[in-house]
Amino acid sequence: MLKELKLYPKYVSMSLRSSLSYKADSIIMIISFAITEVVSLATIYFIVGAVPSIGEWTFERLAFLFGFTLIPKSIDHIFTDELWILAYRAIRRGELDVYLTRPINPLFQFVAKTFKWDGVGELIVGIVVMAIFGPQTEIAFTVGGVIALIICAVLGVFVFTGFKLLLASLAFWVKYVGIFLNTIYSLSNYAKYPLRYMGKAFMSIMFYVIPFGLFLYYPIECLILGNNVWFAVLYSFIAAVIIMTLGLLVWRLGIKRYESAGN
Amino acid sequence: MLELRNVEKHFKKPIRGKGVWGMVKSLFSRKHTLVRAVDGVSFTVDDGEAIGYIGANGAGKSTTIKMMSGILTPTSGEILIDGLHPYKNKERNAVLKTIGVVFGQKTQLWYDLPLTETYELLRYIYDVSETDYKRRMGELIELLDMSSFLDAPVRTLSLGQRMRADLAAAMLHNPKTLFLDEPTIGLDVLVKRNLIDAINRIRKEYNTTLILTTHAMSDIELLCKRVIILDAGKVLYDGSLESVKHMFGDRRDITLETATPIDASIIEKKFRLEKISSENEGTHTTFTVDADVQPVNELLNYLLSEYSVRDVKIVETGIEQIVSKIYEKNNILIDGMKITSDIADSEPCGKDKDGECKSED
Repeated sequence: MLKELKLYPKYVSMSLRSSLSYKADSIIMIISFAITEVVSLATIYFIVGAVPSIGEWTFERLAFLFGFTLIPKSIDHIFTDELWILAYRAIRRGELDVYLTRPINPLFQFVAKTFKWDGVGELIVGIVVMAIFGPQTEIAFTVGGVIALIICAVLGVFVFTGFKLLLASLAFWVKYVGIFLNTIYSLSNYAKYPLRYMGKAFMSIMFYVIPFGLFLYYPIECLILGNNVWFAVLYSFIAAVIIMTLGLLVWRLGIKRYESAGN
Repeated sequence: MLELRNVEKHFKKPIRGKGVWGMVKSLFSRKHTLVRAVDGVSFTVDDGEAIGYIGANGAGKSTTIKMMSGILTPTSGEILIDGLHPYKNKERNAVLKTIGVVFGQKTQLWYDLPLTETYELLRYIYDVSETDYKRRMGELIELLDMSSFLDAPVRTLSLGQRMRADLAAAMLHNPKTLFLDEPTIGLDVLVKRNLIDAINRIRKEYNTTLILTTHAMSDIELLCKRVIILDAGKVLYDGSLESVKHMFGDRRDITLETATPIDASIIEKKFRLEKISSENEGTHTTFTVDADVQPVNELLNYLLSEYSVRDVKIVETGIEQIVSKIYEKNNILIDGMKITSDIADSEPCGKDKDGECKSED
């Protein structure tokens, strides 16, 4: 583990220098990620503009929630984007061979290989949106509340990562899981909206089955309604531990039955 | 020491029905066939030995190599490299530090960066000290003649350069055992020859144990003394290259170009030939002899003294013929006869002073 930590900066620097050989591509990616998010925020603005508000959710509060959801998502995007490749082709095409012949953790090598700095665009949009709309939400921010939000965001990164790892590792059994992962992952977009108004069934799924609601939506709701935000932290923590453990477990079981690919 | 004890690897292949409906059905069916890719393989390799591991496509060569190098876990049986299992979680890292692996069709080099960057990373992964790294890098650059492309991004390298670079990457941590899976695939004759020479130099320098799979039998003749022939996951033959050659006779094809036609009937009476064939009204004649039965120099001396000879070509029978003979002898149906397709690969070679031929292909 210590060795992996020492190696990580090397990987990041190599990955950055690699992507610098395609400078224009990276800049286009950053801008397009940022534009995507700005456009979807604008969509929310137009929808909410048509109705005065959704319960206690004003546009400013929705925008704040929107900004917050971008943070764990973009951080996960920056660090573990390679897991998509795992789901789509690495297992099926036998691309793990190289990592398995080296004396350090193969999952670490695989994930560390790509440091996706294009995710920075999303992260910046998230922070800027939160900074603009935060003061207009009429939420009484306390130091504790802010810390709780930060912890939720960090735990959220682990839920996203564990979740991607869990589903991508299924590719050891079923060859085409990429599309499945993509479908489930995109459900996280619904946590940008007030889940409580989307029906009990859907809300339960987003809280207990695919817990995107727990760390993205719930903490903000607690702050707005004046509930104890630390419950959100506790639930997010439990979700992160369970999903990360499951993900690592399925990966470990899967790698034993890895079949590589013929020449 | 490397030891395989009754190793088996099975793959489950789902049975696919025909057409779209068959595909849909196979999605929900649990039926599958069991493919025994490696089926009870045992052998031992001593330190410093060089083994040619050969067989037709799908014989299980790559699967064995992948099990020995920690990529695949055997279904049953045991693989021990100096007493440790490369596929067991707790022993993996210790074993992997002592082996190097090169796959001809995959690279471990960082695609967009100069070679030296990958080597630097590998230095950290394998805990190679700064001084060892510098010394070894210097040696490898010289042995593999890599100085001209060290700073070019890997994506710009030619296949031959990339293979040499991959070989250096696998040798950086001074592994005791080197696995090469089809290292010469796709290389032209000259580049291939250079690579093989380099591998030989490396082995001489570091006394590395070598396990090599290849389709070009000529590679094995130049690199290995011992061969293991695999078919349908089972070991067909394990022994010295020399004896496998002699088992079926040490055959040579001698082709002469003469000014006047050779009278085949006289020579057939005088010498013990296996076959004789001629082209161009008898000015191009090929004699096939078994060198153990009929010494090549006697035949050549006679021919050179009786005819005015313009050119001589001697071709040693390639392993591919021998392997297919083993198949015939064991009465085994060969799948696609891939082995013999490499005959085209063996080329005529120049003769040295004894009229003996060092296989040059």
